Amino acid sequence: MSAGLRKSRITWKMVSTEAKLLLIGIPVFLWTIIPIYHMVLFSISPRNAATSGRLWPKEPTLSNFSFVFQQKHFYLDHFWAQLGNSLVIALSVGALTLAVSTAAAFAISRLKVRGGRTVMNMALFTYFIPAAFLAVPMYKTMGNYGLLNSQWSLILAMVTIASPYCIWVLKQASDKLPWELDEAARMDGATAMQLFRLVYLPLMVPSLVAVGTYALLLAWNEYLYAFLLLSKDSSVTLAVALGNFLAADDSPWELLMTTGLIYALPPAAIYYAFKRYMVSGLTAGAVKS
Amino acid sequence: MASVSFKNIEKSFGATKIIHGISFDISDGEFVVLVGPSGCGKSTLLRMLAGLEPISGGVITIDDKVINDLDSKDRDIAMVFQSYALYPHMTVRDNMAFSLKLRKADAELTNTRVANAARILNLDPLLDRFPRELSGGQRQRVAMGRAIVRDPKVFLFDEPLSNLDAKLRVAMRAEIKALHQRLKTTTVYVTHDQIEAMTMADRIVVMHDGIVEQIGTPLELFDHPGNLFVAQFIGSPSMNVLKGTLRQADGREWVEALGQQWPSLTHAQARDGQSVHYGVRPTDITVSASGNGIPAKVIVVEPTGAETELLLEVGGAQLVVVMHGRTAVQPDDVVHLEITAEKSHVFDGTTEKRLD
Repeated sequence: MSAGLRKSRITWKMVSTEAKLLLIGIPVFLWTIIPIYHMVLFSISPRNAATSGRLWPKEPTLSNFSFVFQQKHFYLDHFWAQLGNSLVIALSVGALTLAVSTAAAFAISRLKVRGGRTVMNMALFTYFIPAAFLAVPMYKTMGNYGLLNSQWSLILAMVTIASPYCIWVLKQASDKLPWELDEAARMDGATAMQLFRLVYLPLMVPSLVAVGTYALLLAWNEYLYAFLLLSKDSSVTLAVALGNFLAADDSPWELLMTTGLIYALPPAAIYYAFKRYMVSGLTAGAVKS
Repeated sequence: MASVSFKNIEKSFGATKIIHGISFDISDGEFVVLVGPSGCGKSTLLRMLAGLEPISGGVITIDDKVINDLDSKDRDIAMVFQSYALYPHMTVRDNMAFSLKLRKADAELTNTRVANAARILNLDPLLDRFPRELSGGQRQRVAMGRAIVRDPKVFLFDEPLSNLDAKLRVAMRAEIKALHQRLKTTTVYVTHDQIEAMTMADRIVVMHDGIVEQIGTPLELFDHPGNLFVAQFIGSPSMNVLKGTLRQADGREWVEALGQQWPSLTHAQARDGQSVHYGVRPTDITVSASGNGIPAKVIVVEPTGAETELLLEVGGAQLVVVMHGRTAVQPDDVVHLEITAEKSHVFDGTTEKRLD
């Protein structure tokens, strides 16, 4: 009897917890899914049916995709080149940021170089200033170096923006590696470089994947700096090209949404592939364990 | 194989000096244990020898060559860490071969050395496993294997058994000792466990608060502790110590403590009325139910099978006595304690140094 009561009470508690979660979860889910649903809806609707207000198009079609892929519109003249630009820039930013921040984190956390603390503090400090504030100075600087309109300007700018956070995360993760490993390796005869290559890097892989993905996605999704630093149609990224769709009064919404959907797929795929690392890597060092 | 020498070694962390001028020599092939309570500087001394900690003052030599400014890797020393410090991403084989790989030794030599070490330590079936797949004792053996493979001049052990359970610790203790007898490599071993020190060492260095209290073979330290600290640190259960006054008369000497007379040998340096610490080991006291010894009340009887430990009270102080075999003595019984003068230890009341 009492066991039965107890059981029902727990069940009631579970139901109420579940209900509370649903109460929060459903709005969040809708909030997230509606724009995506809209995007998908537009991309499979024929042009004249796109704004019909139906929940599902009467005659769903993939013709928008063939339009985009064959660059059959004024706005899409450089689609493949722009997609390529986005890809090259994102990959370069990911790789460069990784190189910079891994080296910095190793030097600060494992080699204990002088001034390491200052670098860490400055890295954190950079986030007190919104990236948008720095857009104009960055533009000026790139101009001084003669890099405007070169994709290097965007790559360097994005590495600058991504690195401090990446250094911070990697430093926290490095601090968790047992110190004795370094000592054992030193006693085994390893130089600093061998320690870095043979012991440090292999053990940091999860954090490196997380941080590299973060930098890559940051660059892939960047609009403001890309818009500012690059101007030739053939050298801008797809994000900027998408913005340009809105320059006219009668924007081809179905093509904009189709291109946007294509543009959103790689980040989703990357995130899905590496989500195991993302969660553990980005929260590494967040709490003392 | 090599001899090691410490001359006036000092170490400070900032303004805090933690090692105050330590000097001693370790001969070729010797097994020396540094023992002392935590914070005594034993690990720091070992790490200075390893090159993991800069030396603030003094000189360390290996085979008469000063190594103060040599990098760890150039000292030809191998170390076994308390936490094992195995490379988690490498198999047992790769862990053991790592140092040779860094030295670019040829593959055949590496394989032979690894195979040899694996055979000595019974690691053959584990060579392709990762450290996470091993038990504590196996990891410990891999850490030792990594040291053996290098064939270094000196082995260093930094509390290598502290992470193991009691039973395994005893087994590994014997294993390390057997290994040393076989390889005869000069070994410096740090522990806070005096039993480990007693059972393994050729010589023990007892450290306390950054100085060496005494150096000697295990039995020297046990039989002739140089001061009160060593007397109480070495031996388990530890020595009974009573504060008292030394008395001399008719060429005889004894210590008055707790209202009783405690027998002692005569000491050349002693004078009548000197305040002293009187020490006697629990195993050196004979208990009899009747007789004319010092009367004591039994508080607790702890049989352990082969021995029986008694906690006794004499004049308000407590004494521990270890008897061989079993006893019919019960709590609240009054027993009589007999001590032979040869087995007593007398230390000066202020300097706490042994009186000779």
